[in-house]
Amino acid sequence: MSINPSLHLAEYLERLPGTTFKKLYQQPSTTFAIFRRMLPHLAKTFVMRMLFLPHPMTLTDLDTWVKPEAKRKKDQSLSILRSLHIVQISAPSKEKPQEIQLMSNFKKSLRLALTGGGNHNSFGVPSSLLVPPEIDLAFLDRYARKKWEDVLHFVVSSVGYKSSLGDGSGPNKGVKELLIAGRLVDRRPNGSLGITQAGFTFLLQEANAQVWTLLLLWLEVLGNNKSSGLDPVDMLSFLFMLASLELGRAYDTNALTEERRNMLPSLVDFGLIYIPQHKRSMFFPTRLATTLTSGGNSLRTISEGVTAATQSAQTSQQSLGPLGGGGGEQAGSVVIETNYRLYAYTQSALQIAVLALFAKLNMRFPDMVAGRLSRASIRQAINFGITADQIISYLAAHAHEQMHRTAALTNKPVLPPTVVDQIRLWQLENERMKTTSGFLFRDFTDDKDYLDTARFSEEIGVLVWKNDHARMFFANKHEQIKDFLKTRKRAE
Amino acid sequence: MDAVDVSEHYEVTAADNSPSLLSIVLDTNPRAWAALDSSLSLAQAISNILVFVNAHLAFSNTNQVAVIAAHVNRAVWLYPTPQSPSATTATKDHSGDVQMQDVPAETNAPSNSANKYPQFAQIESSVFSSIQTLMAETTVQDLDQVTTQLSGALTLALCRINKAAQALSSSDTTISNAAPVNSTAPPPVKGRIVVISVSDSEPSQYIPTMNAVFAAAHNQVAIDTISLAGDSTFLQQACFNTNGIFLKASNPKGLLTYLMFGLIPDTEARGDLITPTHDTVDFRTACFCHGKVVDTGFVCSVCLSIFCEPPENAECLTCGTVLALGNYGAKPAVMPRKKKKKKKITNGSGREETGSATGTPKP
Repeated sequence: MSINPSLHLAEYLERLPGTTFKKLYQQPSTTFAIFRRMLPHLAKTFVMRMLFLPHPMTLTDLDTWVKPEAKRKKDQSLSILRSLHIVQISAPSKEKPQEIQLMSNFKKSLRLALTGGGNHNSFGVPSSLLVPPEIDLAFLDRYARKKWEDVLHFVVSSVGYKSSLGDGSGPNKGVKELLIAGRLVDRRPNGSLGITQAGFTFLLQEANAQVWTLLLLWLEVLGNNKSSGLDPVDMLSFLFMLASLELGRAYDTNALTEERRNMLPSLVDFGLIYIPQHKRSMFFPTRLATTLTSGGNSLRTISEGVTAATQSAQTSQQSLGPLGGGGGEQAGSVVIETNYRLYAYTQSALQIAVLALFAKLNMRFPDMVAGRLSRASIRQAINFGITADQIISYLAAHAHEQMHRTAALTNKPVLPPTVVDQIRLWQLENERMKTTSGFLFRDFTDDKDYLDTARFSEEIGVLVWKNDHARMFFANKHEQIKDFLKTRKRAE
Repeated sequence: MDAVDVSEHYEVTAADNSPSLLSIVLDTNPRAWAALDSSLSLAQAISNILVFVNAHLAFSNTNQVAVIAAHVNRAVWLYPTPQSPSATTATKDHSGDVQMQDVPAETNAPSNSANKYPQFAQIESSVFSSIQTLMAETTVQDLDQVTTQLSGALTLALCRINKAAQALSSSDTTISNAAPVNSTAPPPVKGRIVVISVSDSEPSQYIPTMNAVFAAAHNQVAIDTISLAGDSTFLQQACFNTNGIFLKASNPKGLLTYLMFGLIPDTEARGDLITPTHDTVDFRTACFCHGKVVDTGFVCSVCLSIFCEPPENAECLTCGTVLALGNYGAKPAVMPRKKKKKKKITNGSGREETGSATGTPKP
C-alpha cells in the first residue's frame, strides 16, 4: 500500500492551508457547496444556529445545546468544523472562557448565499443565446453517462474483460494519461495496461465518489505542473460553482475568467459539461456536475424519487418524463440472498464485468445475470487487490430497490449479515494483520497529562489504540493533538 | 492476531441521509398582520421565512420545502404553486409533452441573476407572486372572519409529506402493501411542519385540527409552532402530541433568530440536541355543542363527546345515548378525619423512621 492515489475530498481539503480556505470562502457558491457536501448533519445545524449570531459565544453554551449522550458526535463535528477552518475557537485563558465563532469570510459568504444579493456572480451567468431544441435533460443524461462509462470501460477493460459493446471511441487521450498518471491503471512491462488496486477502489465506488476521485487526481496533476498556469484553489472553487448550477440551463462561457475557460475542454472530456458543436460560447452542466455536492450517488434514485413526487404539484416549467429513466438502469440492480446467490438485473457490460471480478457468474439472460459468491471467487478478487470492504460497499451501493424496501420494512440491514461476515472472513484467511499509519504518543510527564491527552484524542475520534499502564497511545492524526498540547502548556 | 474477530457483526445499513421535507404553514390573517405591522410587517416576515427555507434547503440537495398560506377562509399553496388548469392545457401538446418555452416570463426572469442559487430564486418569486394574488383576491367580506382556517393548511401539508414518503418508499405499492408494515421502522422521509401563527385558535376548528394532529403523530411528522401573536391553544397541543417545538415569540422582530435558532434542527438533529421546551401546555378543548373552549365540561360516557353544559333531555348529541347526571352539583359531604391510632414502635424499625425530607429515589 505504498501508493494510494484515490484521494478523498475530505483528506484533500484538510491538507490545504488556512489561507487557501480564506480564498475559497470568498465565493458564496463555494462556501455553500462545502457546507452542503463536507459537514455532518450536526455540524450543519451548529453552523446554521451560529450564522446570525452577532457575537461569539462561549464553548460552555455550546455544550448546553447538546444532549450528554451525543457529546462524542458534538466533538467530532467541532473537530471537522475546525479542520475546514469554518469556526474559530479562542485559546483557553484564565480570565475569559473559551469562545467560538464562525470565520468572518465563511459567515459573510454563507449569509450572502442564503439571502441572495451582492455582486459576486458566483452562481453562474446564464447564456442569453437561444438554446438548441435538441438539448434537453434526457440528452444531457445520455451524454454524461456515455462519457463516464467510457472512462470506466477503459479502466475495466485493462483487466482483460473486453466489453461486448464494441470498442467505441473510448475516453480522450488526456483522460487516459490522467488515469495512468494517477496510477489507476499501470503500464505493464509488455506494453499493455493493467489495473492497479487503486483502480479497483475507484471502480467499486459510487459514481459521485468516482467523479471526485478523478477530479482530485486532475487537480493534483495540474497542481504539480506549474507551467499550466492554473491555480488549484481557483479550479476547486470553479468545481464547487459548477455544482451549484442548474441542470438543463445554458451558461455563458464569456462570463468566465480566462483560466476557467481553459479548464472547460478537460471538463468536457470527463462528461461534466457539454458544449454544443456550433455554439462554443455556451455550456451545459450535466448531472455529474450538478450533483457533485450531493452526498449520495448521483445516479441513485432517491433524490429523483422526491423530485418526481413533489414536482407534480409544482409549476409547469419542469417536465420530468425523461428523468425517470435517468438513474434507473445503472443504480440498484443487484440482489444478494443469504445463500450467497447473486442476481443482477442489468444489461450493462460494464457492470457485468465488475461483478465478474468477485463473483462466479453462471447464467446470463437478456436482462439479468445470475451467479454466486464463493470462497474461490472472493479469493480471486483479493488476489487482484480488491478488499472485502470494497466488495461489500459495492454491493451495498448497488443493492436492488427491493433489498432496500425489505430492509426498511423489517428494520434489518440491507445486505444479509451472514454474507457480509463471510466475505470478510474469507479475506481474513490470508490477511491477519491490519496496518494503520499514524503517530505514537508516549513519555508523558505524569498520569494526568497522559489521561487528558488520550481522552481528548478519543473525543475527536483519532485514537486507535492505547495502553494506560505504559502511558502511551496511538492516533492516526496528530495536528489537533499538537494544538491541544500546546494550548495546555500555555495555560499552565 | 486480534484482527481475527468472528464475534463482531458487520452490518451495512442504508445510508441515513434520507431527505427531510419541511412544510411551512404561514398564517396570513390580514387583521392579525395589520395589528403586528408596527413590529413586523408581513413582507419582512416572508423574507425572514425565505432565508429559513433556504437554510433548510442548504442542508442537502434532497431536502424539499413547501409553503402554504392559511388564510381567513381557505388554504392556498404558495410554493410549489399548483398548475392552473388553463395553463396546463395550453402548454401541453397532443403527445402530452410539456413545452418548456411557455413558461411565464415573470417566473423565469428573477432566476437569471447569477448572484443567487437558482432554486432559491425560483422559490422566492413563486412565494411573492402567490401571496400577491392571494391578497388581491381577498375581499372585504372575507375580513369578517377574525380567525384563521388552520386545519385545512395542516391537512394539505400532511398530504404532501405523505405523497412524498410513498413515492420514496416504493415505486409500486403492491409489494409493500402485502408485506407486514413495521411501525417501528423509521419513515423514509423526515417530515415536519412549521406553523407561523399570528391569531387565536378558532374553537369550531378543534375537531379537524386535532384529527390532523393525530394523523401527523401517527406518521411521525413533527409539528413546530412559532406564535408571534394571539393565543394558539390547539397548536400547543399539536406540538405536544407530535414532539414538536412550541415557541412563543415575545419579540416578533426577531423572527429570523427564532427560526434559525429554535427551528432549524430537523427531526434527525433533534436526537442529539436539547430542544426548547414549553413547560405549560394548554390542554383545554372545545366543546362539541357550542364550540367554546372549556376548562371543565361534561363527557359522554359512551362516545367521549365533550359538552359545556348538560345537553337537552340528557341525550348525547353525538351518539344519542341517554345519560344520567348522577348527583351533579351536590356539595361533597365533609367527613371528619379519622383519628390516627398512634402505633407503638417496636424494635425501632417502623416505617416512620425512614421519613426523611427527600423522596424515594426513582430508578
